Amino acid sequence: MQHFEFYTARHIEDALTFLSEKGERCKVIAGGTDLIPALRKEDIHPDFVLNVLELRSLNGITELNHSIRIGSTVTFTEMVESDILSHFFPSLVQAAASVGSPQIRNRGTIGGNIANASPAADVLPAILALDGELELESKKLGTRRLPLSEAIVAPYRAQFRQDEILTGIFIKKLESGTRSAFTKLGRRNAMARARMNLSVILRLNNEEVVEELKIVPGAVMPVAKRMERAEKMLIGKKPETSVVEATATAIVEEIVERTGVRWSTEYKVPVMKSLSKRILGELLT
Amino acid sequence: MLKGTKKTRLRMKVNGNPVEIMIKPTWTLLRVLREELSLPGTKKGCEQGDCGACTIILDGKAVNACLVLALQAESKEIETIEGLGTPESLHPLQESFLKYGAVQCGFCTPGMLMVAKALLDKNPRPAVKEIKQGISGNLCRCTGYVKIIKAIQNVSG
Amino acid sequence: MKKRGIGLGSIFFSIGYGFSRPDFCAATVEISPNGSVIGRSGEVDYGQGSDTIFCQIVAEVLGVRPDTIKLITADTLVTPDAGPTSASRLTYVMGNAVLKASQTLKKTLQSVAEGILGEKDLLFVDEEVYSETHPEKHISFKVLAKECHNRELPMVETGWHEITTEDVDPETGQGNAYATYAYATQLAEVEVDTETGKVEVLRIVAATDVGKAINPSNVEAQIEGGIVMGLGYALTEEIKLDRGYIQTKSLGDYMIPTSMDIPYIETHIIEIPVSTGPYGAKGVGEPALIPTAPAILNAIANALDVRVTDLPANLENLHRLIREKGD
Repeated sequence: MQHFEFYTARHIEDALTFLSEKGERCKVIAGGTDLIPALRKEDIHPDFVLNVLELRSLNGITELNHSIRIGSTVTFTEMVESDILSHFFPSLVQAAASVGSPQIRNRGTIGGNIANASPAADVLPAILALDGELELESKKLGTRRLPLSEAIVAPYRAQFRQDEILTGIFIKKLESGTRSAFTKLGRRNAMARARMNLSVILRLNNEEVVEELKIVPGAVMPVAKRMERAEKMLIGKKPETSVVEATATAIVEEIVERTGVRWSTEYKVPVMKSLSKRILGELLT
Repeated sequence: MLKGTKKTRLRMKVNGNPVEIMIKPTWTLLRVLREELSLPGTKKGCEQGDCGACTIILDGKAVNACLVLALQAESKEIETIEGLGTPESLHPLQESFLKYGAVQCGFCTPGMLMVAKALLDKNPRPAVKEIKQGISGNLCRCTGYVKIIKAIQNVSG
Repeated sequence: MKKRGIGLGSIFFSIGYGFSRPDFCAATVEISPNGSVIGRSGEVDYGQGSDTIFCQIVAEVLGVRPDTIKLITADTLVTPDAGPTSASRLTYVMGNAVLKASQTLKKTLQSVAEGILGEKDLLFVDEEVYSETHPEKHISFKVLAKECHNRELPMVETGWHEITTEDVDPETGQGNAYATYAYATQLAEVEVDTETGKVEVLRIVAATDVGKAINPSNVEAQIEGGIVMGLGYALTEEIKLDRGYIQTKSLGDYMIPTSMDIPYIETHIIEIPVSTGPYGAKGVGEPALIPTAPAILNAIANALDVRVTDLPANLENLHRLIREKGD
């Protein structure tokens, strides 16, 4: 393994100062489940590695008046075992439970999953469907918020400044009656990268008309995004079979538009369409 | 001094014993256990978290030692296979693995025992489904997992 | 839509190298003056249990406890050549070598014991040698061993067993290819998600004729491991090459089954002894695994009326076959 210096920050101010000094020569490490293999393979060559696992302010899951704050170093296991998340965002818990293995979930963090920005990341579609917001801190700019939907511009490229640390994720509580779901298709039943995943938020009003709908497919595009055109096909309408079918078609059409036709398209299109219909069907019963 | 040769002090507890050594910041916990502390029971499988052969218990949680930079273990408590029972007095999990024939080549076994211990420490009477889930991060090519699951299910004491 | 199917796979499989390729084992058994037993052989146990078989056979013949036998294996300085651990051959070939060595030693011990006890119907059981009809006439194995040493009788014997066959006629393919064959059938029940191509194997039942299961638990263990290996071979394992370079280089890319992927597994050990095997035993290492993929593929065919001819039957490959059938 290449050479780097290692520094464990004990206070957030120290971490921010360190980052502001070292900038792009420094990589932040939390659980290390993505970073350490990258260091071994020498995909990256930082001079410094900054360990943020000991920073209290980056941990914990807190219920606020209108939203939930998830610290960026909260592990997937902590997410799965969280009563708050199970109550408010079951789809996010499902996504976290589907990651890797128990050992990976005990170390991997939500912040790391976001910062790594893999196209196949499991929690990203769930957070995007929930309109999650990132909290970033730096010495220069202080604290700022950035919607997750604007944070990732390309595979493995999260738009943080060089001197910023992702400190938390904020998710607004859902209106009562809102249902959420997450599904993942993998080649085997554990330790599998998503072949494709999908997260959906849906709410019907009293007249059984779709009032809110958010659809985010993952692992099928360079960057996971909400399928807003498809969403608009169903919002304001009653979810009859033909409309649901049209929505599912619109999802895969938009995916193909973004990625172009590739060797995998002949599999992706029908399967994502099926998964979309299944998950919508599940949420509508 | 050549860049990268500077060593840093690491202090942690391993199998109940305080340890203090000088290590390079690039070293993983796996490397430190096997080569600096002469505890080769923790196996090197894939070195990228895909096989679980290097599973140890860190502050009560099963983790892949290959995915922990050793300095991240500062002040933490580590349990390795060497700390599980003694030749004269085996841990009940070890007794059970022997009784049910859950060991063939033995390479996955230390990782399996440690992940099983972490599971049972939290949930003393897991259902078969929970055992399968619990060991899902540990690959085994010899056994097909059948007798391993049985051994964990039937551990007594 | 989920569709279920059941399929069978049946095999017969050769034990040993066959086709006149050299196939032999040597094993040495030594009894020391204090009665402890040492075995020496080049055989390699890498977890399949050949060491256990060695000890069980010596124990069966000499009446000593198998866990007290000291084994030295795979050391070119002190162990005789037993050939490789492959071709499902060690129980069959090494077992016979061990049997021969042990039986020769027993003859020597027996004749001395007969003289001392004045009886011929002697049994070697539980570290004792005693007359079946007059059990009060007995001598401990340790004392007997010491006595044999005192009389300077040979207490080290090397057994050598060969199963090299004659070969087959190159024109007709007929003749003597292998020394013996194992037989196995497996049944697989699968559930296929026709919309994703994902196959869930629900159940595998295996019936494997091993001649004689010298260690039934180990035979089961081999079959269980073989089944899961066969499952991976059928459904997820793939080595991808790009102009000769392996692309699937890690355990993250080359996917073998995890504990969450295994079906309900049921093993039935069939024992139809072969006269040429030690206690009738053949071998099981490979027979354990070979019927699995065929059984799974036949089950998929039963479920979908679709024939998989290229492995693995993974998501994309199976989905393509399903789509092509539908068109």
